[in-house]
Order: sequence, then C-alpha cells, then structure tokens
Amino acid sequence: MSVTSRTRFVNPRLGTYFGIFASSLAGLVMLLLIFEELGTSDAVLRWAMLLGPLAFYAAIGLAAPTREPIEFFAAGRRVPAGYTGLSMAVATMGATGIVATAGVFFLIGFDALCLMIGGLAGYVIMSVMLAPFFRKFGTFTVPSYLGRRFESKTVRLLAAAVMAVPALLMLAAELRMGAFAAGWLVGQAQGLMIVALVATFVVTSALGGMRSLTWSGSAESIGAVLALLVPVTIVAVMVTNFPLPQLTNGPLLRALMHNEAAQGLPIVDAPALGFALPGEEAAHIVKRFTAPFGAIGPSAFVVAMLTVMAGVAASPWLIPRVTMTPGVYETRKSLGWATVYFGLIMLTTAAVAVYMRDFLMDIVKGGAPESLPDWMHHLAGLGFAVIDEGAPLTYTSFAFPRDSLLLSLPVAAGLPAVFLYFAAAGVVAAALVGVGATASAVGNVIAEDVVNGLSWDPLPRTTRLNTARLAMAGTAVGGGLVAMLAPTDPLRLLLWSLALAGSAFFPVLVLSIWWKRMNDFGAIAGMASGFGVAVLTIFAGEANILGLDGALAGILGIPAGALGAVLASIATPQPSRSVLELVREIRIPGGEVIYDREMRLLRLKNRERS
Amino acid sequence: MMERKERKPYWKHTKWQMLASVVPFLVLIIVLPLYAESLNGERFLGFPLGYFLSAHGIAVIAVFTVASFVNRQDAIDHWHGAHEDT
Repeated sequence: MSVTSRTRFVNPRLGTYFGIFASSLAGLVMLLLIFEELGTSDAVLRWAMLLGPLAFYAAIGLAAPTREPIEFFAAGRRVPAGYTGLSMAVATMGATGIVATAGVFFLIGFDALCLMIGGLAGYVIMSVMLAPFFRKFGTFTVPSYLGRRFESKTVRLLAAAVMAVPALLMLAAELRMGAFAAGWLVGQAQGLMIVALVATFVVTSALGGMRSLTWSGSAESIGAVLALLVPVTIVAVMVTNFPLPQLTNGPLLRALMHNEAAQGLPIVDAPALGFALPGEEAAHIVKRFTAPFGAIGPSAFVVAMLTVMAGVAASPWLIPRVTMTPGVYETRKSLGWATVYFGLIMLTTAAVAVYMRDFLMDIVKGGAPESLPDWMHHLAGLGFAVIDEGAPLTYTSFAFPRDSLLLSLPVAAGLPAVFLYFAAAGVVAAALVGVGATASAVGNVIAEDVVNGLSWDPLPRTTRLNTARLAMAGTAVGGGLVAMLAPTDPLRLLLWSLALAGSAFFPVLVLSIWWKRMNDFGAIAGMASGFGVAVLTIFAGEANILGLDGALAGILGIPAGALGAVLASIATPQPSRSVLELVREIRIPGGEVIYDREMRLLRLKNRERS
Repeated sequence: MMERKERKPYWKHTKWQMLASVVPFLVLIIVLPLYAESLNGERFLGFPLGYFLSAHGIAVIAVFTVASFVNRQDAIDHWHGAHEDT
C-alpha cells in the first residue's frame, strides 16, 4: 500500500537549513554595512549584494539533484505547507507584484487594492474549490490532469497550447522586472541581466528539476520577503517607534489625508469601467490616497478583482505546486499560508506607499524649491524621481516612475546604501521565484504533454528527465527572447496573463470537479471559447474598440468559458462510466494518489512483461 | 477507507461547506470596497475605517475563511471516513 503518512517524509531539518540560509543572508547584509562604513567601493557592495544571494540560490539548487521522476516533477511530494505557501505567495505575482504594486499604491492609493484583494480571493477559491482535488489526482501538470480527467488527448494538447501563452507572458514580465532591478543594481544593460537570470534559472533547475527549484525557490522567497520587510520595518521604527509597518501607518495616513486636502489634491470620480492603471513612465500622484475609485471605476475595480482572483486560482503555474505537499490536508493548509504571506507582502507595499507619500507631502508643505531635502536630489540623481523646480512647489512638481518607488524608500529615509541594494536584491530573488514557477511549468508541460502528448505512458526515465531539463531551459530562453524583443510593461503582462489563465482554465477546472456531467467536448469548448474571447477582448482593449481595458478581459472571457463548457457538454453524450467513477474518486481525499497508482500499476505491468 | 454508501452524504456535506466558505467571502470582498468611502470618516487604529477594512480587514477575513475551511472540511472528512490515512 503506498498511502503515506502526512509527515513521514518531511525532512525534519528543513527549519535548520533555512535558518542557516536566513542567518547567512543577514550576515552578508551586516558585513556589507560594515564595509560601507569602512569606505569600500560602491561597485563592490553592489556586485556582492547581487552575486552573494544568487550563489546561495544556485548552490541550493545544485545540492538537490535527482534521477527519480517523482522527485524531479513533484519534489518527492514532501514539501511542508508553510514552504509551499511561501513560494506560492511570492510566485503569484513575483517581482512585478512587489515592485509595481508599491508604485501603484503610491500613485493611485486605494484603487490598487483590487490587485491585493483579487490575489487573496484567488487563494481562498483555490483552497476550497480546486487545489485539494488536484492534489488527490496528483499529476504534475494541468494539461495532464485535464487530459486524464476527460480521457482525451485532444483536451491535453489544447490545454498545453493554451497554458503556454499566459505562462510566457508572466515569464517575460518577471524577467523584465528582475532585469530592471539587477541592471540598476550593478549598472549593466537589462539585456545582459535577462541572460544572467535565465542562466541562473538553468543552473538552479538542471540537476533536480522541481526538487531543486522548490528548495532554492523557498530560499529566494525568504530572501525576497526579508528584503521587502527589513527596510520598511526600520522606517516604521524611525517614524512610529513601532516595528510593524503594516499596522502602524494609520495615524500617518490620517495626517496625510489632511495634508492632501490642504494641498488641493483632487477627489476624482472615475467612470464605472475606467481603468487608469499607472504605466512604467514617470507620473504624478493623481488622487488622494484613501479616496476610492478615482483612477479605477467601481465596476472596473470589481471586475479586475474577480479577474485576478480567477487567474490566480486557476493559474497553471501555481496549481502544480500543491502536488508537492505531503497530502490533501497539507494542500489546504498551504493555501492558508499563501494567504498569510501574500497579505503580508501586499500590506507592506501599501505601507511603503504611505511612507513615501508622507515624505513627499512634507516637502510640498515646505513650499520653496530651495528647501528641497538632499534625499530628493539624490532620488532625482538616481533616476527615481523627476523634479520640476518651478516655484512654488506642489504635488505636481514631482513625478515618480512607478517601478522605482520601492527602491526610493530607503533613500528617502536616509538608510545606508546597503539597504537599498538589499531591496534591489530582494526584487531579483522574487523575479527568480516567478521565473522558476512559470518556466518550470511550461517546461514540464512540453516534456510531459507535448513531446509525449499522444501517449498516456511516460517516456523512459532518463529520456523523460532529460527532455524536461531541455524543455525548461528552452522555455526560459524563449521567455528571455520575448522579454528582450518585445519589451512591454510587466504589470500589463501580468494582468493579461491572469486574465487569459482565468478565462481559459478557471471555468473548466472548477466544472471538471464540481460537475460530473462535463465531458471532453465541454472542456475543449470551454478552453477555446474562454481563451479566444479573452484574447479578442485584450486586442480590442489595446485598440480602444470596446472601451474596456485589456486587463479586464475576464469580464467576457470567464463567462464565455463557462458558457462554452456547459453548452457543449449538454449538447453531447454523457461521459463514460469510467470517467464518472474517476470524478467520484477525485472528490475523496483518502486513498492512493490517482496518478501514483497509475504509475505503480504501469511499473508492475512492465515488470511482468519483462 | 470510505464506505461506498457514504459517498453521496460526504459530497453533499462538502458542497454545503464550499458554499458556506465561498459565498459570504465573495459577497464581503465585493461589497466592502464599494462602501469604503462612506466608512472613511470613522477611524480604527488611526486608519480611515473604509480603507482599513478593505485592506487589512479583507486580508484577515481571507485567512480566517481558509483556516475555518481547513478545520471544517477536515472534520467532514473524518466524520464520513474520507480522510487520508495517518
């Protein structure tokens, strides 16, 4: 019997290992702080802050080699809930989620909450409606699950083709954001940094596949969260004497509201479906922080929230992560942890925005251009702010590129430069988590569902792993080429990616579990109509045809997917008895993992033959 | 291992739990931000209440929803004998 204990295989020393990693990272930062005080050259500090953590991540990846498929594709199904949740929380929006969200909170305040609430809701829906059942099934990819659930190779191949598009968009977004931070940190061209990130991913994943990526990804996630939290917490202590930036910026926010009113910052009412999300270029603050629906209209807010929710819940690069937990119960718990970590990350980015707005409003209150503090000139020198010094100063005298906001806080608070470099290194780490999640998901799909798409039996072991290694590396290179050749705003790419994933997969995945009657025709129609309508809506949005922003494509794509799936299923024959029995089995957490049983029986059959 | 006749009651119980977890949560996350402006006049921990509920409040509600679902669903699994072997 291969049913296993929930905790038997979890390595009891994981906490020790990651404790050593976190201490080493803290030691590196403190060492560099000492070197900074001793007058070490800036370039050495910057390179050390970039390469030091990267060497850690690559070493962890290389230290976890494997030749077993279950290890290579599912990290041996022994990743505890806490680590799975942490990696998922960082991988969901990756570096784009951290960097761009801080900027969006700063520029449009309250309206940025649609991204945060959407992500949180995505985890809730995933934990209740999708993940436990996917874990029970146990396949390594979403197309494998759909193909087996509907006993259709067409469904499998179509799902593989459809999932590649949003995953590649997300991959390109992460590479661009990571290259932006790494390029800024060491003063190199972004193209070169994209190559460096791809190379780091390939080295990290080559020997152990998902096993390597899971453990190096956990370290990267810890690094990213620490790099986000530490500078903001120090600023919180400086400003409020309390090290909880997420909870203590309330009084500051109230003072900010009064300042904003005094400076004549407008209360704007956006049209119901207006979606003026700030782009990459430098922009002014457009509205008061706490006033809702000034840049994003109320309907667009709800639609964006639900689109992000569906995209996160059904994203084919996040769901396979849950098959790495030791059991169904741990899967549910892992989503709880993801909710905690994601909420923490988003509330911290909101705190960054509040602190920066407060610092800015203090300058504006001062009024005279000659009274500008040194840090503002420093920010302008770094390219993080644009100053119009025509007297008198108002809030429109300053423009900030959205993606520089997170890095601006350590400068504005007068922290040592190493904290700024640490924050940039954290962005690179978060980007590597995002790259790892998406490139490995597409690579696994190519190896499992495209190269071997016409057979339910897996390739021979060595060929299977080597194909996956090549496919992962090839995907990362492809993503790098997309990021270099067609540079697009990473936040836009992220939102399109979530809209496409939500439209194509959310209705089909949910119905595949909760509606037994759904058949392979329904799955094909659901994916094709959801994806097709979402793509058309995005194109129409970009061409200003519909008056609906492309990021809101889920408003049409998700209902189209659901409608296509339901109508096509009803119009065609019932699923076979074996499929109905399979669905009944998916719904019960106990018993053997369905995919593992299939593989066990296959091994027995092969042994008997030989 | 679960008995065959338990399958239907188990799934019915699971469906109700799903609805009990998802529906109130979805209603809250849609409704709360829409009323944020009118709540912003009040304050909590120094925050304008509308903003606080829409940001911190929804984060806490999401964590609470998942945590209560995990506990309730585990109890349902054990009640019907559908749980994993330990």
